[in-house]
Amino acid sequence: MLAAALAAPARADGPPSYLFGGRTIVMSHTVVAAGGVAVGVDDPGLLELLANVGAALTYTPGNRYVLITTAEPQVISFAIGDKRYDIGSNSSQAPFAPFERNGIAYVPLDELLHALYLAVKRDGNVNVIQPQLAVVDVQSNDGRATVIARGGVPLHARLISETPDQLIFAFDGVGTTLQHTRGIRAAGLRQLEVAQSGDARSPVTTVTLDEVPGASHGVADSDDGRDFTISFTGPQSGAIPIERIAPPVVTVPSQLPTQEPTDVPTSAPAGGPATITAIDARSGSDGLTIDVTVNGDASYEWHRLREPDNRFWIDLHDATLAMPERDDLETGPATALRTHQIDASTVRLALSLAGPQRLDVEPTSTGIHIVIYPDTVSDTVARAGTGTVGTVALAANPNPAVSPTPLPSGDAWKFAPHAGYVARNPRLIAIDPGHGGSDPGVVKGGTREANLTLDIARRLRDILLARGWQVVMTRNSDVDVIAPYDSGRVELQGRDDVANKAGARLFVSVHVNSYLNPGPNGTTTYYSKPADVPLARAVSHRAAVALGTKDDGIVKNDLYVTLHATMPAILVEAAFLSNPSDFALLTSTAWRQKAAQAIADGIADYAGAPPPAAQTGNQ
Amino acid sequence: MKSSRILVSILVLIVVALGSWWFLAQRTRSPIGSQISVYYTKMDGTSLVDWPVSMRLQQSGENVAEHLHNVALIAAVQAVAGPPPETQAVRFPPGTHVLSVAVDGTTATVDLSKEVENPLSGTFGESGEFKSLVYTLTGLPGIDAVQVTVEGQKLQTLPGGHLELDRSLHRSDW
Repeated sequence: MLAAALAAPARADGPPSYLFGGRTIVMSHTVVAAGGVAVGVDDPGLLELLANVGAALTYTPGNRYVLITTAEPQVISFAIGDKRYDIGSNSSQAPFAPFERNGIAYVPLDELLHALYLAVKRDGNVNVIQPQLAVVDVQSNDGRATVIARGGVPLHARLISETPDQLIFAFDGVGTTLQHTRGIRAAGLRQLEVAQSGDARSPVTTVTLDEVPGASHGVADSDDGRDFTISFTGPQSGAIPIERIAPPVVTVPSQLPTQEPTDVPTSAPAGGPATITAIDARSGSDGLTIDVTVNGDASYEWHRLREPDNRFWIDLHDATLAMPERDDLETGPATALRTHQIDASTVRLALSLAGPQRLDVEPTSTGIHIVIYPDTVSDTVARAGTGTVGTVALAANPNPAVSPTPLPSGDAWKFAPHAGYVARNPRLIAIDPGHGGSDPGVVKGGTREANLTLDIARRLRDILLARGWQVVMTRNSDVDVIAPYDSGRVELQGRDDVANKAGARLFVSVHVNSYLNPGPNGTTTYYSKPADVPLARAVSHRAAVALGTKDDGIVKNDLYVTLHATMPAILVEAAFLSNPSDFALLTSTAWRQKAAQAIADGIADYAGAPPPAAQTGNQ
Repeated sequence: MKSSRILVSILVLIVVALGSWWFLAQRTRSPIGSQISVYYTKMDGTSLVDWPVSMRLQQSGENVAEHLHNVALIAAVQAVAGPPPETQAVRFPPGTHVLSVAVDGTTATVDLSKEVENPLSGTFGESGEFKSLVYTLTGLPGIDAVQVTVEGQKLQTLPGGHLELDRSLHRSDW
């Protein structure tokens, strides 16, 4: 370390500056080292650059390591006094070892930029930091070829040519050193060419993919990731199951019957499709406001395309159009508005936007409220969303079915009640609807976890009351149990206190799960204490039989509410709000009733029938 | 007679010197080798996968405690970043990174950036993320508990979260 510090030379004449994404980044804490520039980890320019590419630096004085977590994510590791540096599991050698001076670590700048998929290019006297298309990989699997592109910034591909046998994508502002043409022997794909044009400041990298005639393809362009993925299958394989966001179809299919407004009821019959009875569009100085009146339960999803194709559309599922279709020219932030029934149960409202307008989509008590604002937004805003109208309104009279579902044969489902806890009120069951009030829980497309948990909990309460149990709810409306914005411990302990002070027989917390991507799904029953296990098993078993979700079983985890409840306690994550299939179940009234029924039946398997009233208070 | 006494004394001195050297070497040699196990949680939310990560060996001038601290830092950063991007794993919310790691006795305190508070992670994510972090750090010799802080602050729970974070986490919590 000492040798490296001594070898570190004096500062260069004036701090180096770089052009990156149209802004100048000055790196003021640099020194010229043997074989390159060393940058201090506290350099404001470096930190700005890292923030711009979604990377973060970990270093505290005295530590041997300087660690950078990239957006990919991947860890770049430098060690003081060691020329070796690691990018993930790959090691390389830098021309000089990182060193420490006055408590600040200095690392090789060029190597760091390279690890971040960035390259320094000269444009006259200006140094330009150019994001690179660093990886173009072809993976062949199960009769499908997948092309994955990865770069130093999120890759937004522009489709510049599409013919039956060729696709050409352009990545604006991205350079590459991967320029080559290579033949591919993979399903549906026969050649890949990477080329770069433009200058140092405005590079354009194109990827040309030659398809086998008759092959099909799908594009997955994640909003937040670095990957751009295109999959191909051969002519015999049929369509591939990758979702591609298709632009809206703006012509009405001729085979659909014309909707006559007088033929459609103005309110949806129970259990039938919702009806769209009015679309009120108003232009003003605040933009274009559209209120869609929906009678009945419906779910919706909206999409917007990227600049320059500024189209927006919203599809209402389980809905019919109970009014004439519209095809209006507008002025202001939207230039056209069209509505039509695109299939028997889907109504689409499509807008041509004047540009990348800012917009809001919100469910209301009467339908959906859409605002297209006069101002525009960046390319990174959400381009899709989902929600429900009507379905999450809490049922005042859920009319619960109280008969237990038939038990499976065999003894595997039987669990003896735990004998270690003696309830002061053995007829009382505590139900905790998760979240509420200032804490909505997970919110997905306008659907709040707190509303779903309350709805299931109320249904569970009604079933248990009908079976002769007493029930105490930690909350019975959309409120905080203790106080708005209180701390996690206060709020969660408050829920436990309701059950603990009442001496309840058992405690059930109802929740809805979530994850950062739509993959995970299923029903999980969490527990914390050994005494919780029989109850968890019983409820999990009933859920697996009745709910049609993936059975994720019982999972031990020291969750606050189950840990601090003195009686047997479980936390049921009924399904994933973040998974489309589970979302559809969660927003179904009938399924929420099933969920409540399954929990009640699990409680019956565990605890049997409620004890006679005479026993209450005698325990 | 005299010469044999001198010989015995020299032998005793050599044995004492070798013993002292061995004793001191054991005290100053880190038990951590060139590889550690970083764990990640599979997408079933509960199963752990042991993912070997290469580590730089203890260098001269770096005592056992310093080496453990350095290894704990890189282990925590790797666990929070997760396995290579092509591997399916329960991951911390995007942007979450380690700000610092301190080792005090048998507890490693990991200070995380505020991105960890992303509520979309849910119980599923919260459970899987912290399981991988705790298993990774408690796999290092001498560490059996992990205290999590966010931007230097001890939290009772994550906002809208479910795990009790103002106490240290152990393997037995899962």
